[in-house]
Amino acid sequence: MILKYNKLLIRIFAILFLNITYCQAQDCNLTLSGNVFDETSLVPLSYVHVHIQEENRHAISDEEGKFSVDSLCAGEYHLQLSHIGCEAKKVHLTITQDTLLIISLPHTASLLGTVIVKGQSQHNKDQPNLSIDRQTLEDNTNENLATLLENEAGVSTIKNGSGISKPVVQGLYGNRLAILNNGVLQSGQQWGNDHSPEIDPYTADKITVLKGASAIEYGGGNLGGVILVEPKRIAHDPHLHGQANYAFESNGNGHVLNTQFEQNTPLFGYRITATLKKYGDRKTPTYFLTNTGAEEINFSIQVDKKLSEKLYSEFYLSSFNTRLGILRGSHIGNLTDLQSALNRDIPFFTEDKFSYQVDAPRQEVLHQLAKAKFKYYANENQKIEFVLAGQINDRKEFDIRRGNRSDIAALNLLQYTLNTDLKYTHTFDKDWVLNLGNQTILSDNTNNPETGILPLIPDYRTWKWGLYSTLSKSKNNTDFNLGIRYDYVHQLALTISNSVPREIIRYNNYFLNLGGLFTIKHNFENFQSLAYNLGIASRNPAINELYSNGLHQGVSGIEEGDINLNSERAIKNTLEYKWFQNTNFTINALVYHQRFNDYIFLNPTDEIRLTIRGAFPVFKYEQTDAAIYGFDLSSQFTIGNSILGMLKYSYLQGDDLSNNQPLIFMPPNSAYGSMTYQHKGDIELNSNLRLEETSFEINYRLVFEQEHILADQDFIAPPDGYSLLGLKFSSNMITPKHKIRYFIKADNLLNETYRDYLNRQRYFADDIGISITTGLSFKF
Amino acid sequence: MTGCDKDDPEPPIEEELITTLEYVLSTPNNPDITLRFEDLDGDGGNDPVITGGTLQQFTSYEGVITLLNESETPTENVTEEIEEEDEEHQLFFQTTIPGINVEYTDEDADGNPIGLTSTLTTSAAGSGTLSITLRHEPSKDGAGVSNGDITNAGGETDIEVTFDIEIQ
Repeated sequence: MILKYNKLLIRIFAILFLNITYCQAQDCNLTLSGNVFDETSLVPLSYVHVHIQEENRHAISDEEGKFSVDSLCAGEYHLQLSHIGCEAKKVHLTITQDTLLIISLPHTASLLGTVIVKGQSQHNKDQPNLSIDRQTLEDNTNENLATLLENEAGVSTIKNGSGISKPVVQGLYGNRLAILNNGVLQSGQQWGNDHSPEIDPYTADKITVLKGASAIEYGGGNLGGVILVEPKRIAHDPHLHGQANYAFESNGNGHVLNTQFEQNTPLFGYRITATLKKYGDRKTPTYFLTNTGAEEINFSIQVDKKLSEKLYSEFYLSSFNTRLGILRGSHIGNLTDLQSALNRDIPFFTEDKFSYQVDAPRQEVLHQLAKAKFKYYANENQKIEFVLAGQINDRKEFDIRRGNRSDIAALNLLQYTLNTDLKYTHTFDKDWVLNLGNQTILSDNTNNPETGILPLIPDYRTWKWGLYSTLSKSKNNTDFNLGIRYDYVHQLALTISNSVPREIIRYNNYFLNLGGLFTIKHNFENFQSLAYNLGIASRNPAINELYSNGLHQGVSGIEEGDINLNSERAIKNTLEYKWFQNTNFTINALVYHQRFNDYIFLNPTDEIRLTIRGAFPVFKYEQTDAAIYGFDLSSQFTIGNSILGMLKYSYLQGDDLSNNQPLIFMPPNSAYGSMTYQHKGDIELNSNLRLEETSFEINYRLVFEQEHILADQDFIAPPDGYSLLGLKFSSNMITPKHKIRYFIKADNLLNETYRDYLNRQRYFADDIGISITTGLSFKF
Repeated sequence: MTGCDKDDPEPPIEEELITTLEYVLSTPNNPDITLRFEDLDGDGGNDPVITGGTLQQFTSYEGVITLLNESETPTENVTEEIEEEDEEHQLFFQTTIPGINVEYTDEDADGNPIGLTSTLTTSAAGSGTLSITLRHEPSKDGAGVSNGDITNAGGETDIEVTFDIEIQ
């Protein structure tokens, strides 16, 4: 089979993934042959290791990506396909005749972007994106959603210690970044820089970051990126399969256990996942970070049911529950306390013993999600999807308080959100695709007055109604995509006055947001592609930006909203060039520029406010014109057939154009490199145990100093740049009956002392030192 | 929840709030002098009202600190809360006027000072400020802390107020 790089084929493979054709043959003389391609580039993949588990037989694909296994009996088989640099793929199939298997593996997906199958959104694949696969998730069970992504080009994390991390995509985070958990827009307290997304990444099969301009379908006022946390479809396998992953991390004596079961019964398919995490105090190279332990218990269940040939349903429930300690020495009273904390080498309240104890200051957060999805295929060309989802977010934050009040939350917010999502897809003339969507989001946020503290953000209710349409077409190796989105937003906020006696002031706000998207991508004959992406969007001011009022203890400042803020508007241009000459060398270069009018930001003003607790700096939400621009570079290469290399570099700059100064809190430039040696073939230890896919990785992360900032924009100068060295060894231990994946890795191997600009804990303490993680993954 | 209206929030009862600090200085045969810091609406809103005082030179005063939450009715005496948790609290006195000396006259169960009562002694005439700081969970064992040196105290600041003082 000769494969030309061709748009239509991409689509066929992307959607089908797997295509089986049958020919006539006799029993026990059957041949299984296959063609393996890279999922993104469609380049044939050589040296793919194919393992037929039932027969314990192996085959290796040739230069044209072909393999073949003969003398098979008719029956059911589980196949595993593995290849350097990508996650192994499992296939279950019943062979009754000679069979040809056409299959793709995500060899370059992390670099070149993935084909987003979920929702089959036509425009997504033309948007710059990257993704993390299940194998990476399993080998990093100790990480959270944000830190899993932080080595990727264009992605960074805002932290408050090691337990609290928020992802940042090309400089945007919080209210400006949409995170979708299993297709549902995550709704929590995104406004807080010390509020992590309440998602267990181990429910997912893949995490994808869309970096391009406003992804029209996702709404939520996102002017920039979108992060998709996607479980995979439940496999068409009637047997019960599952896995258990356990990891131990030396720094923090952390234990993580994750289990997953799935089966496709004749009535329905189901998957159950559960994660347990327990960490104690983390440690810098020289001292413990007292009170930085964490606990997490998560659970999810997914049920897929085919209701008829045309109607499919999917039900999903997930529960996320965490208790997170915050460095005791970072809890301060006022500006004087902050000054004395900044001048210390070791934070106040540092204990010389490790402990699992999590006291105040701490956060306790519960997030529950329930979702029902229905897909109706009216005919070959028309499809309707409906999603109904409810979320409950319960956040409590505990501070050190006087008079035995430390067990009464200082911030106590309960949020209910109800999403509906109706989408119609129509394909016509073969290569035109039209999407029409209608979305509603209702959220209700209430402060619990038991805190005994005036709330930082008021009680509120918001209604959002969004309509969108996208139209795409592929012709002659060129893809076009056009989208438009309209949102109507009503906010009702109930603030409590600052003056006594306390009065309730009601505000009703109405906003209209408009967004547009245009992308064009051309695939050249010689395995190169160029994509241009233009997005315009507006975002109405969020409740915290309008009405914040009071002391934000976490940042020891008084934060004030401004009820007169306008919507901010942004226009983002991206240009992405990809070159995949062959699977031995690929490169991806992305340049972007985003211009904001009325960019809303928290400005550290000159004002110092006097209270009985002393002086506090005042931060006000203000608007300015701004630009954020930069480039992301990544390259993947193989040396021989055993060494895989990766290089990534991100450059970003943010400017406040009206005030002619840098934007604060922008990610510093960073680079990441790794080299992986994968041993060819198996290592036989004895007749009952052999090792396959044994690999050894060395990685290096370099973060530069944030130099684009003025001295008076922060309490202290940004920390120096730093570099971290890591090692990892992993292997699959195969016994006649079982397969166990084993890994051991070292992070910050040289035990370097460093502080990170985007980690708020840098004002008080060093970042964590060396950490060794070992993990086991057992699959059946 | 789908309705177009939402109930009014219930304003929290700010039991923990301290609105007022009084430092009453008394010496025989003279009227008491009261240094007072008052911020009835808490952080933000109206500015606090700060009343300094004039002291006599070369005089020894008995000082008593009272903390109040006047946002509640009746006014809550927060001093009692400090007395109950005296091991976890300490007041510190700092001045820009040479010769002013403040000595603790109370102690907690561990024999460490609290600072709710003190003796303030003046020397020559002058003017400047006197700052009073209440620290929650200080390390009372830190070097110099029990003698009133705040440098190694740590903990969180619950109160930090500054008064203008005249000595004549």
